[in-house]
Amino acid sequence: MTRLPKDLEARLSAVAPSGIAWQAATDANGVTTAWAELADRNDLVPVATLLKELGARLSMTTASQPPAPPEEDEEEEEETEDGAEPAEKPEKPVPTSFGGTPLDGTAYHLAYHFDLDGDTLTVVAWVPQGGDIASLTPLYRTADWGEREMMELYAVVVRDHPDPRRLFIDPAIEPAVFERLIPYSTLVNAASTKGLWDKIAKVRKEVAP
Amino acid sequence: MNVLTLFARNLLRGPVTDPYPFGPTVTQKRFRGRIEFDAASCEGCKLCERVCPSGAIKFSKDPNGLAFDCWHATCVFCGTCAFYCPTGSIRQTNDWSLAHVAADKYRMVEHGLIPNQTCVECGATTLDTAPMQSGVKPPLTAEDVATLRPLCPKCRAKFMKNRKAKK
Amino acid sequence: MTTPDLPVSVPETYTIPVGPLHVALEEPMYFKIDVRGETVNAVDINAGHVHRGIEYLATHRSITQTVVLTERICSLCSASHPESFAMAAETIGAIEVPERAKFLRVIAAEVKRIASNLFNVAILAHLTGFETLFMHVMQVREIAQDIKEGVFGNRMDLGAICIGGVRYDLDDEIIAELRDRLDRIAPLIDEVIDTYRTNGTILRRTRGVGVLTREDAIACGVVGPVARASGVVYDVRHAAPYAAYPELEVAARGLPDGDVWSRAMIRLHEARDAVDIVRQALAKLPEGPSNLGLERPDIPPGQAMAKVEAPRGELVYYLKTNDGSSPERVKWRVPTFMNWDALRFMLADAKVADIAIVVNSIDPCISCTER
Repeated sequence: MTRLPKDLEARLSAVAPSGIAWQAATDANGVTTAWAELADRNDLVPVATLLKELGARLSMTTASQPPAPPEEDEEEEEETEDGAEPAEKPEKPVPTSFGGTPLDGTAYHLAYHFDLDGDTLTVVAWVPQGGDIASLTPLYRTADWGEREMMELYAVVVRDHPDPRRLFIDPAIEPAVFERLIPYSTLVNAASTKGLWDKIAKVRKEVAP
Repeated sequence: MNVLTLFARNLLRGPVTDPYPFGPTVTQKRFRGRIEFDAASCEGCKLCERVCPSGAIKFSKDPNGLAFDCWHATCVFCGTCAFYCPTGSIRQTNDWSLAHVAADKYRMVEHGLIPNQTCVECGATTLDTAPMQSGVKPPLTAEDVATLRPLCPKCRAKFMKNRKAKK
Repeated sequence: MTTPDLPVSVPETYTIPVGPLHVALEEPMYFKIDVRGETVNAVDINAGHVHRGIEYLATHRSITQTVVLTERICSLCSASHPESFAMAAETIGAIEVPERAKFLRVIAAEVKRIASNLFNVAILAHLTGFETLFMHVMQVREIAQDIKEGVFGNRMDLGAICIGGVRYDLDDEIIAELRDRLDRIAPLIDEVIDTYRTNGTILRRTRGVGVLTREDAIACGVVGPVARASGVVYDVRHAAPYAAYPELEVAARGLPDGDVWSRAMIRLHEARDAVDIVRQALAKLPEGPSNLGLERPDIPPGQAMAKVEAPRGELVYYLKTNDGSSPERVKWRVPTFMNWDALRFMLADAKVADIAIVVNSIDPCISCTER
């Protein structure tokens, strides 16, 4: 096992022809944390293969669905002198990630966290709504459960996963649970709600009129 | 180590369980137990309500002032409220005897009231909260606190502005 | 006329369900174990009985509230979760924790390690039927529990961490009490180590049982005492030091055999080492504030990773924040997560009677796994 090699960015770019956005920082204890965002999610397997040759361990996989960035306020259109309607504004372009996935709140941000003897490298792949991504399980045993969890929390499809069953969520529940959820505490009436405090206030009045 | 030696030693020492309630037991000083609220020293900043992770604390407007309630069944006894409270008005005692019958469930509440008062300057109805001290430079003297106490927030702000101008 | 020998149909394997509720397990986990006679053939795991959706809850709490929420993921690792989360938040916010707080965080984590490892080793004795030793080790552990209650206020959930430092402090009186309890527990742990090293009952039930070879350990990506007992000496405190660990001497423990006994010995040694680490930390404890007094920590949008050495191994946290006061995504991967896969190798050709012992030897923390 080796720590992050100094030329890792160049080596990753070599196997990921569509490009990577690289960031790295080393803290006071000499531990490096690096981030590599892939422009094309199909570069994931070549990148992971290179990392395997370097002795990396796939530590964790995180799936999330970032909300759309907040819209900026638009300037007021000036009216023309004769009160005519202002001209049609062109459609504001949807912001995109590095690599062109639209950031409209439906795309998925998949982060694969690799550990190299203490240093961490996170490889990020964006998957648009309805898209899929190749499974890393043939390369890394540790990807198995992580990818199963991704598939049950979000509507992400991991291609060629050897065992695509549900991991923790009961099969009877509809998929993509993180995208629509009722908090458990609300479900079982245990949440700290107005109804609860009303009951407490009522009891207090009974005890100490 | 031979287990029989351990066993013999333990046998000679006798049981280690405290025979409570038939005998004494020790409660550690720092044990995080029941919540206690002191209305007289509270600033009314409601920071405790904001940081409580389980939503066990609630301030509510009462005809007589600002009511404080902390329901111990939702409380997780983490002590975050006591840690962040600037005046120590909410604190955790080391009282752990909170067992109760189910019928008393809604009575396990620590209740307090910050009463209303009339501002001596402008006559408005306001809360009798302790004056806010955090971030005040130079720190408030006892005299300043006594002057600020019977004032409403607007008159307190005026006093603080004058105080700053005077320095 | 002789009757022909009719082939007797015998099923190849028989499936035993172990769990979800089982006397050998503290938490619900459903194992479908195919056995051939007394020997295990295959293991299938069905998890999810303690899934609480904490990752979802964390996105509906402020950062300060999430520190407390992460503590309740698991009570045995409950110092490591908030520590790791706070480290991730502090990385994003570029918040530098005071020196004294770093040492106090180490003390909290190491005290937890003592109690957690002793717990696991005690349960091992219990599962081999050796109740006397079980009770004895639990009683030794009670000294560590008293430390937790006396210093932190609770036997399990220490409430020690806040963003920007620690929530507790040590004065001379408490330090004296702490040292006294450490002096009492250290020789007792030495005795327990000696017992587990030599006692015939323990050796017969744990030596050569549940073996995980070094190659399998690397393939499965296991960490912590399970990895170190199989010869993969990876410890976050050495590989990616954090808090005050760069200034403390932490012994690197490793054993080659990868059986249940090796794992128990590693845990016992690490519990004993933890006492030394706390003593070192107390000796080097600098003066200064124990936290930055951040009432509302300013965490800008960003993402960060943090990892700590929990009692069970490497705990990794990923935190993503945006403009709101709640985190956008919190994800953590607990060390037990990979151990379930390694169980497949450990339980290969094990006897049915050893299933409980092998499962316990990975120090399973199902609430951690399922969040």
